Amino acid sequence: MFATLMQQIANGIVFGALIALVALGYTMVYGIVQLINFAHGEVFMVGAFGGLATYTWVLPADVKQIWYVALPLMVLGGVVVSVLISLAMERIAYRPLRNAPRLAPLITALGVSVFLQEAVRLFYPNATSAQPFPATFITTPLVIGPVTVPASGILLVAVSIVLAILLQAYVNRSRMGRAMRATAQDPDTARLMGINPDRVIVVTFAIGAVLAGVGGVLYGVYINNIDNQIGFQNGVFAFTAAVLGGIGSIRGAVIGSFVIGLVKNLADVLLPGGTAYDYVWIFVLLIVVLVFAPQGLFGEAERVRA
Amino acid sequence: MSEVSTAGRTGLFRPLSTAGAVATVLGALLPWATFVFNEGPYPAKATLQFFDAPFALSGFRLHLMLFGLAALVVGFTRLPGRGRVLRALGWGVLAVSAVNTVFLISNGGGFGAVSASDGAFAFGCYVGLAGGALLVADNWHASAEPLPRWKFSLPLWAAWLVLLVSFGAVLLLVAATLTAGGLGGAADPYAGPVFLSFLGAAGGLLGGLHGTGLLSWIGELSEKHRLFSVLVLLLCALGLPLTSAGNEYWMTVAANIGVYAATAIGLNIVVGLAGLLDLGYVAFMGIGAFVAANLSGAAASALGIHVPFLLAAVIAAVIAGIFGVIVGSPTLRVRGDYLAIVTLAFGEIFRRAAQNNIGGLTGGANAIPNIPQVELFGLEFNNPVTIGGLQLPGGVLYYFLIVLLVALTMVAFGNLKNSRIGRAWIAIREDEDVARAMGIRTGKAKILAFLTGATLAGLAGAVFAHKTATVSYESFQFLESVTLLAAVILGGMGTIPGAVLGAALLFVLPEKLREFSDYRLLLFGLALVLIMRFRPQGLVPDRHRRAELVAEDVELPAAPKEATA
Repeated sequence: MFATLMQQIANGIVFGALIALVALGYTMVYGIVQLINFAHGEVFMVGAFGGLATYTWVLPADVKQIWYVALPLMVLGGVVVSVLISLAMERIAYRPLRNAPRLAPLITALGVSVFLQEAVRLFYPNATSAQPFPATFITTPLVIGPVTVPASGILLVAVSIVLAILLQAYVNRSRMGRAMRATAQDPDTARLMGINPDRVIVVTFAIGAVLAGVGGVLYGVYINNIDNQIGFQNGVFAFTAAVLGGIGSIRGAVIGSFVIGLVKNLADVLLPGGTAYDYVWIFVLLIVVLVFAPQGLFGEAERVRA
Repeated sequence: MSEVSTAGRTGLFRPLSTAGAVATVLGALLPWATFVFNEGPYPAKATLQFFDAPFALSGFRLHLMLFGLAALVVGFTRLPGRGRVLRALGWGVLAVSAVNTVFLISNGGGFGAVSASDGAFAFGCYVGLAGGALLVADNWHASAEPLPRWKFSLPLWAAWLVLLVSFGAVLLLVAATLTAGGLGGAADPYAGPVFLSFLGAAGGLLGGLHGTGLLSWIGELSEKHRLFSVLVLLLCALGLPLTSAGNEYWMTVAANIGVYAATAIGLNIVVGLAGLLDLGYVAFMGIGAFVAANLSGAAASALGIHVPFLLAAVIAAVIAGIFGVIVGSPTLRVRGDYLAIVTLAFGEIFRRAAQNNIGGLTGGANAIPNIPQVELFGLEFNNPVTIGGLQLPGGVLYYFLIVLLVALTMVAFGNLKNSRIGRAWIAIREDEDVARAMGIRTGKAKILAFLTGATLAGLAGAVFAHKTATVSYESFQFLESVTLLAAVILGGMGTIPGAVLGAALLFVLPEKLREFSDYRLLLFGLALVLIMRFRPQGLVPDRHRRAELVAEDVELPAAPKEATA
């Protein structure tokens, strides 16, 4: 029992690290434009397929086996695809609705989400069913006492934490980060101070997409299997994590993600229903958090725009 | 495209529009394809003959001819709203030409199918497209013209006659739309384009009539004689089995549309009136369906008891309503998009639970099959019936049942909208804080909105269970919720005809366009984005009240005037 528990905790941490990469995008975009970007999960999914496409068609055969060459290139490919899709989405779908009532962009986001899922299913070769993802990283797992963690899982945790710290530093220290925080606090005043909100929003979407793209490729390497549905599922988890941590807060998103990862994996062994119901428990958690603590762990109370 | 508004232009002669009309007529007469298709000639099999007999017009060429002639005549009159009429006709011509051109090119293997080759020449589609484009471009600014208003009043008998005739025409149009192109799929490879082409023509026709002010006038007339219109409309709906759509297949399609239309009207209460975005709405329909399935005496149901249908439907509605209150209770604390997420979470919880066969009640992946048909008053609902000397096809009883269901939800919606609680909902939609300050008990009102919507959905679900005979969790996915939401938004939030029109479009299109079924969701997602961008108020906008989605400061490109009139 103890061994199982430790194993589930380890799995939960890896899963949490993955979710964090997506949740950061949600939290940044929501913090700045108050939009639940439903399609952000699809950006993650597209990133995974971008990485796979890079492996399949771009990398020469002799490079495919050398992980320290292949994997960075795949991540780069995934990130490029993610960023392009995300920026196109912002420009075409969301920007025209900047001043529309809040329902409009939310429904647009749903439309974009469905569109991207279907576009991948229809136009990526054979993507109508799940696609095997090459195990490019070191395949020997790490064994610590009773716990076995795949090397790719360790990589995921490391990358996730490093990127979150970098992001935190960027937002707190850089000029653009300051502009972001200003826009999030008060877009109109920020504009008066000479900040171009369009630029801030584009950069925000791009940063979210970079993280999601990295997450997508590492997800593929970790799970070794991707399909066009991974975006929606993990997107909802990530959103839950972002809300749990307090939407708009980077630290909150990361901690919320680890909580979600642990809840999901511990629910598999501890809560009634087992693996079949772990999703249900996450949704229950989401509802409880939204109803009783919508400001989350580290966020401010939600500002309601009429 | 001139920058000058056509409103100020009173000259009779409109060279560009006239050229467009002439081009349309020519396009109708010219050949459209250069060769005969494998499945048989496109025109012949699609009842559009033009290979051997270019002047024997039928099908889409007839539509084009009529539109062209109409545009020609209208262009030389001082008809009020002329620009609007011409523009609508132009869009119709453009739609019809585009559909047929795209089909010929894609199925004929390229532009050779519609261009000169092998001595034959076929430029019909180019000329038709040009005609439509000219008509639209010349009247691009027609929205600046005021929509003509017909003021003359009629004696009672004449008003009733007008209403009778117009609703009869609606019935025929509905029947023709349903049957346009035939069954589709393998039965007729041309069904998709024929249907789409017909839809384009019908849209152009309705747009043109709207431009003259006729439709608004009939609308006002029917509002004045409300009870009579409702009765005639009900009669017309019940008369559908007597038209060309009167066979088992179309009855089934119509019944399915009806179920979703009823559900969409219920959703319209929650989203359209109270402004609470519900992304898990289909779960209520699912709860109703599973309750009805368990009470139907189906072999696979856990309870194994058989309750008469009417009672089962009531129980299903009540249980769905109870869940509505549960799902609605977070609205006391949660607002806006957070609420949308809560409803989404509830919807997903329902689906996961149903998928895992919770309590043995949902059958899990096996679903609950073989739900017996409804039996009421000694009638078995799957069988054909004979009333008097009239032989009606099988499934017609379900259709009648569902027409009654839709009528019931419509009455409920209409009465609620104009009631005290309805006004409270609209006030909440517009501004919750102000509504509360005005003394509305917002919490109660919001929960009541969820309760009403869920009850209606549960009722629809009960009918759905018996109608389809199998209830599976797969019928109640997140995407179904989004589709219902899209139906409400496409039709127009807060209006009854909008929800019915939206549901009809979203559930007829996949039925008719099976050859494109793979692209259904792709186009659906795209459509959501485009609607939000270009016509957020929907096809039938709420005339009296600003819908949640139309900001006053956003300038809408397409005819926003009538939305606020």
